Formats: sequence, structure tokens, C-alpha cells
Amino acid sequence: MAWLGRDRLFRLMPFIMVEALFITLLALPFLLTIYISLLHWRANRPFEQAMFSGLVNFEAVLADPEFWAALGRTVSFAAIAVSIELFLGFCLAMLLAKETLGRRLYITIFLGPMMVVPVVVGYNFSMIYVDSGPLSQMLAPVLQPFGISPRIRWLSHPTAAQAAIILADVWQWTSLTFLIFLSGFSALPQELTKAAQVMGASRWQIFWRIELPLLKPVIVIAVVIRSMEALKLFDPSVLLTFGGPGTATQTIAFYLWRQVWQFNKFSFGAAASILLLLLFAVVIYGGIYLLVRERTTLRHEGNG
Amino acid sequence: MMAVELGHSQRSFRWRRRPFRYVRHVLLIIWALFCLFPIFWMVSTSFKDAGEWISWPPHWLPQDPTVLNYKQIFAFAGADTGLSRSATDHAFNIWKALGDSLLVCTLSSLAALMLGTWLAYCVSRFGVGGRNFRYAVLTIRMVPPIVIAIPILIYYAILLPYTTEHVLGRRISLYDTYLGLGLLYTVTTLPFVIWMMLSFIDEVPFTLEHAARLLGASRFYTLGRVVLPLVASGMVVTFLFIFILNWSEFLLALTLTQPGVSTLPVLLNKFQSAVEGRLYGPQAAIGTIITLPVLILGVLIQKHLIKGFSFGMIRK
Repeated sequence: MAWLGRDRLFRLMPFIMVEALFITLLALPFLLTIYISLLHWRANRPFEQAMFSGLVNFEAVLADPEFWAALGRTVSFAAIAVSIELFLGFCLAMLLAKETLGRRLYITIFLGPMMVVPVVVGYNFSMIYVDSGPLSQMLAPVLQPFGISPRIRWLSHPTAAQAAIILADVWQWTSLTFLIFLSGFSALPQELTKAAQVMGASRWQIFWRIELPLLKPVIVIAVVIRSMEALKLFDPSVLLTFGGPGTATQTIAFYLWRQVWQFNKFSFGAAASILLLLLFAVVIYGGIYLLVRERTTLRHEGNG
Repeated sequence: MMAVELGHSQRSFRWRRRPFRYVRHVLLIIWALFCLFPIFWMVSTSFKDAGEWISWPPHWLPQDPTVLNYKQIFAFAGADTGLSRSATDHAFNIWKALGDSLLVCTLSSLAALMLGTWLAYCVSRFGVGGRNFRYAVLTIRMVPPIVIAIPILIYYAILLPYTTEHVLGRRISLYDTYLGLGLLYTVTTLPFVIWMMLSFIDEVPFTLEHAARLLGASRFYTLGRVVLPLVASGMVVTFLFIFILNWSEFLLALTLTQPGVSTLPVLLNKFQSAVEGRLYGPQAAIGTIITLPVLILGVLIQKHLIKGFSFGMIRK
């Protein structure tokens, strides 16, 4: 019986430890946040004297146009950046799916951006967009004949700054979609394509009828992973533009950070983060559902 | 075998493919240049003298290469670097930031790896936590860090000191401590460890363990001597992967550790907002130093990443 007890201990020990970590570090603080979101409290006053204020903070968040603007901006940034990344990553992976000259070197270079620390990416691109930086110089031969000074302050214009953030994101994360698609392509079973070729199918038919359906789970993974990450966008918007000019590049994460760490609006921030988590819960649930469904259909096909 | 077959099929398609071969390489080279350019520019800037940082027209390569930027951030030369007082204050911090980053990232990655591997083994073999545990764990990773950061800030800086003062009579705060940041890094990378180690452990056949158990080995002995050696390379890849994640983490470090503990990404950001305008050169040098180890580690695990990133979704 002692042996049984130890066995059960071995099984449950890591589970209990991990759950304890999750509960003390994620669940407990979150309950606290719910409590604080119901107070009327700013960081400069003592916590004990804060007044209970009901749902005022939630109303304030929902009535704040900047909250909605930041949310909409984040979603549109994510949508644009992720679709470009998926398209480019897919094309690049397709170009490198078969053995070509210098394939390994290309792969090493293409995976490079993913390894660069996001903060450094923000810094790098801020260097490139400087008014006397390389981007201005590259455009100089095109602009100078028209009498436009090539020394453009790229990050001072709202649309250009937004494009800059998206470009930085595309630069870094196309490598991840490329990696996911490349591993998908390399796992494709060769027999099916061979058989189709023998039966006289064209390249085009093979791609649309065989490869693309087989790659569907991989595409779902790439979409889910990248969308989740893109909605968190924070680092480049701090280092590249600091949310500016105005609020043109203020993402939802940056907005929340500003409310709490710059304006000390703790209760407001707590309420906003609860609302954001509720919104995200829907998205996360959808993403996980898609992943699980792809996986189970695959299992069935594998067995059958 | 495969190569021979491929070669044959390619020959029959050759007349159609030939013009495309050059287009393919042109496209690939354009993308490669696009990938390399920002990194090249950073390294090039890090060797430029102060006057060249934002000169017009920009110099693609430093005209007069200098290691002054590196000297400044490591404060080798002391007074003769020509930087003002506040910049030299920053300069003394890079050793601390480097040490802090290494310490926090290594220890929290190790803790996450050990705990996560053990849990992954139990989930894989005994189904601990139910059928959808692996997906439930993944949800934690998907929560945006800013949503975690606000509760944690309140928890570390207010609730913990408040309760410990009443219960123990001493204020204990986790804000701006190694333990506080390390615990958080452990928790946020655990889902990745569990997810990745599950895919490695699922591949190990049961029979070896049964044999070991029949011969009288304990659970721990079986795990340590039979299973773990078989997934050792997987553990190395997982460790390097989460180490890179922790090494580049910015938001939590920025919000939860201001003056005391400071990791490298936070240090880079400090140079950004330094009083005397932007110090592009030293920033480039710091950026190069942060990026280099991660790029090397990344190239080392690249082969495994390609294999492992389909998450076992496609079976051969």
C-alpha cells in the first residue's frame, strides 16, 4: 500500500505544483484585480482608504473612445500584418519545399528575424526610418527629380508610422509562418503526389487538389498562433513610435500600459484588463476549438 | 533513394520549369537581402563614430570603424569616452543587466523545464488532468501579457506587502526582485514546455518502461534513466526555445522591475529615453550584444525547429 501511495504521489506531484503556481500567480491576482476594478482608487492614495464604487470603472472604460480606437487599431494591424505574413511565408516555403541550390543557407537566413529580440527589431527599424537613414537614401533617386526632399520624417506621419509598425512586424514574423509552412511541406507524403503525377495531373491540379487540402491543418495552426501573437503587439510600438504621432500607433496593450504606468489609473486599468480578457477569452476559445477540431479530424483520417 | 526519384520526375518537367528556376532565385535573394538588411545596419551602426550615426547621406559602412560604442557601454575606458554623467551611469549598468538577464532567464527556464517535463510525462502516461489538459495549458500562453502584468503588479507591490505586514509583521514585496520576475517567467513558459515535451514523450514507446518497472525500478528511476535519455535532445531544444523567449521578454520586465533588477531589453529602452537625445551608437552596440547569442542558439536548434513545428499535425 505504501508503494501505491508513492506512485500516486509521483503522478500528482507535478500537477499539484503546476496548478499551485498557476493559482497563486495567475488566478489569485486576477481575483484581486476584479476587486480593485470595483474600487475608486489611484496609486497615489493608500489602498485601504479607497472607496467602493460599483461598476463606475467599467462604464468609464466602455465610454472611452480611445479604448475602442486602440482596440480597432490593434485588430486591423493584426489582420493586415498576419495576412501579409501568411501569404509571404507560404510563398517562400513553397519556393523552398523542394531541393534547390543553397536551400539550407536560404532557410538559415529566412529564420534569422524570428530570433532577433523584438525590442531590438523596434530599435533597428527606428534607425532605418530616421529622416537621414537608409530608407530615405534609397528613395532619394526617385524623389529628387520631383523636387521633394528625400529627408522625410517617416515616423511623424500617422499613416506612414502605422505602415512602419506593420512592416517591422512582417519582417520579424514572416519567418515564423515560413517555418510552420516549411515543416508542413516537408511532412507532406510523397506517394500521393507521385501517384497523381503518374496519372497525368498537372502541377496546378496537384497543388490545389492534393497539397493544399493536406496543408489545411498547418494553415490553421499558423493563423491561430500568429493572430494570437499579433493581438499582443507592444514592443515595437514602444520602441519605434511610443504610440505616436498622437495616438496613431497606440495598440490596446500600449493603451493599457499607459493608463496604469503613466497615469496611475489603477482601478481603470484593472477594469479595462478584465474587459480585455473577456474579449480575448472568446478569441482564445475560438482558436483552441479550431486547433482541437483539426487535430481530431486528422486522427480519424489517420485511423480510417 | 528519394533523391533519385525526384531527379527523374524533375527531368520530365524540366522544359516547363527552366525559366522559373531563375525567377525563384531572384525572389529568394530579394527576401534574403530584406531579412539581412536591418541586422546589417545595426552592426554597421555599432561600429560608427558619433558623427556618423545619423549623417546625411548615410554611410553604409563605417568610414572610420571604431569600437568606442562597445567601450562606452562596457565602460572599459572610463572618463575618456566623452559621454555625459547620466550616460556613464547607464554605462555601468550593462554588466548588471547582462548578469540579471542571464541569471533570471537561466534559472526560470531550468525550473520550467524540469517541472514541465515531469508534468508532461504524467500527462502523457497517466492522463493526469483530463483529456484536454494540453489545450487548457495552451490558453495561458495566449493571454496577452499586459493583462497578466496589471494584476501581478497590484499583487506584488500592494497585496503581498499588505498581507505580510499584518500576518508576519514585515513587509515582503516581490516587486522588482529576481524571485518575482523569475516566477513569472517560469509560469509563462511552462505551457510551451508542456506542449513541446508532450510531443517528444508521446513518441517514446511504453515497452521500455514496462520492462524497467518489471525489473523493479522505481518511477523516478524509470523516468530519469529510461525516458529522459531518450528525449534528451528534445529537452535541449525546449530549453533553448524558452530561454530565447525569456531573453527577449520586454513587457513584464519593463513593468515589474524598474530600478533594481533590469534585463537587457529594458536597458536598451532606457538608452532610448536618455536625456541628451538618442544614443544610436551605444544602442546599436547593446542590440548587437543582445542579438548575437540568440542568433547563434537559433541556428543551433534550427534543424529541430523545422521538424518540431508542425506540432505533430501532419503524419508521414
